[in-house]
Amino acid sequence: MESNMKPKLEVKNITKTFFSDKGAFQAVEDVSFQIREGEFLVLLGPGRCGKSVLLNIISGLLEQTSGAVYFNGQEIHGVNPEISMVFQKTAVMPFKTVQQNVELGLKFAGMDKKKRAEISEHYINLVGLKGFEKSYPPQLSGGMKQRVGIARAYATNPEVLIMDEPFGQLDAQTRYSMQNEILRISAEEKKTVLFVTNNIEEACSLGDRIVLLSACPARVKEIYDLNYLPKPRDIVSKEFLDIRQKISDNTDLAL
Amino acid sequence: MEKKKNSVMNIVCIILPVIAVLCIAIGWIAFSTANPRLMPGPVEVFQRFIRTFTNPVARVILPGHIWASLRRVLIGLIFAWIIGIGLGVLVGWNKKVRAVLGSVLELLRPIPPIAWIPLVIMWFGIGEFSKVFIVFIGTIFGLIVNTSAGIKLVDKINIDVGKIFGGNQRQILTEIVVPTALPSIFAGIRTSVSSGWTTVVAAEMLGAKAGLGSLVTKGWQGNDMALVLVAVISIAAIGALLSVLLSKLEKVVCPWNQI
Repeated sequence: MESNMKPKLEVKNITKTFFSDKGAFQAVEDVSFQIREGEFLVLLGPGRCGKSVLLNIISGLLEQTSGAVYFNGQEIHGVNPEISMVFQKTAVMPFKTVQQNVELGLKFAGMDKKKRAEISEHYINLVGLKGFEKSYPPQLSGGMKQRVGIARAYATNPEVLIMDEPFGQLDAQTRYSMQNEILRISAEEKKTVLFVTNNIEEACSLGDRIVLLSACPARVKEIYDLNYLPKPRDIVSKEFLDIRQKISDNTDLAL
Repeated sequence: MEKKKNSVMNIVCIILPVIAVLCIAIGWIAFSTANPRLMPGPVEVFQRFIRTFTNPVARVILPGHIWASLRRVLIGLIFAWIIGIGLGVLVGWNKKVRAVLGSVLELLRPIPPIAWIPLVIMWFGIGEFSKVFIVFIGTIFGLIVNTSAGIKLVDKINIDVGKIFGGNQRQILTEIVVPTALPSIFAGIRTSVSSGWTTVVAAEMLGAKAGLGSLVTKGWQGNDMALVLVAVISIAAIGALLSVLLSKLEKVVCPWNQI
């Protein structure tokens, strides 16, 4: 059955080595996996294991040392408008209002003001920031800023969304509520999502499948299919705790 | 209770500046009554102020002198802003331009604006152009350095955001990099206004038909200390006014920075 499901995005034998005065440093070693259309794939790995490097290669910000990335079956190089990103440190522009931040990609694409406003309104409502359109990010909480980042990524209507530890900087309480929000948003706006985290519980509650990475250099240790667990998942149910334990036992400790 | 404490604090904060200004006024009055020949008192200065209208100095009344100085500063500053901020963006953004201009700037920047006066007068004489040029050359290096420092402050992740969302180099520069640098650019503009104002008065003191600096010199040479004080107070007042106007403008241009 798996073979007739076309992969939306395929990462094949990606290796990345950085060269500096101090010598070579390998961040990613021969990583391969596929993301199916409409899937919520979680990339789970210990802190500083090269996950962000891998994402930057997929999104086109970095060039891989070897290997290839295929999008809809075609090898891609550089930034692709169909692949958008929610950034780790929120990276919303403090000098733009919420609405202007959400409209960034649309403005770059040369869309006229009226159409931009329509689209941004939709996504601002989707992430629950109605009423804050004219606010500046320094007036918002961490969770709200990341909502702006999510709305901004959705607004360009990409086929694939990459989320790089989007909730890593949030406190535990906000993190739980944002996880529920992302489940709701991804159910409303069906997209292929590649979600990166170092948090096992977060991975288990969000992922259709989980790609477990090793400590540095990042290698694929194992791929878990969690499709048998319907969402939203009960994080204290036996099945959930079992799979969580299984992944936890297989995880490398972060240094 | 907390609220009451706050309101008391607020009142104190309003009264203290008034006391500070009063202290200066009292000191002035005390000093001028003790040494009337060295320091004219407020009354005498006020009378001299009135006389600048009825009996114009060099056939120009006081607002005319103020305007003469202001015009020189503004013309010099407008050129310095356009060229200085433009070059600053280039130096901060483009590595090649930075390699060419960086060390030159480090060398020229510490020169105090006033030190340019003799050179500029030698090159261009003591006409109107020299005074404008002194303001220009005295403020441009600070503007370049402030602007380029602000540009270099831009977080790499924000530039990545620009790339991911499909921005080209020009869009990333105008939509992300320059706005990030705007508060630094504004700091540069504020410094340029105060140092431009200082410089023009110094340049005028060396010879000018009109201008607040020339009033200081005329008062000094004619042993008219009241006129010197009228000019000095005007210089201070206009300087303070410019600074207030600029901080108002900054609130309009960088609204996110006030939060």
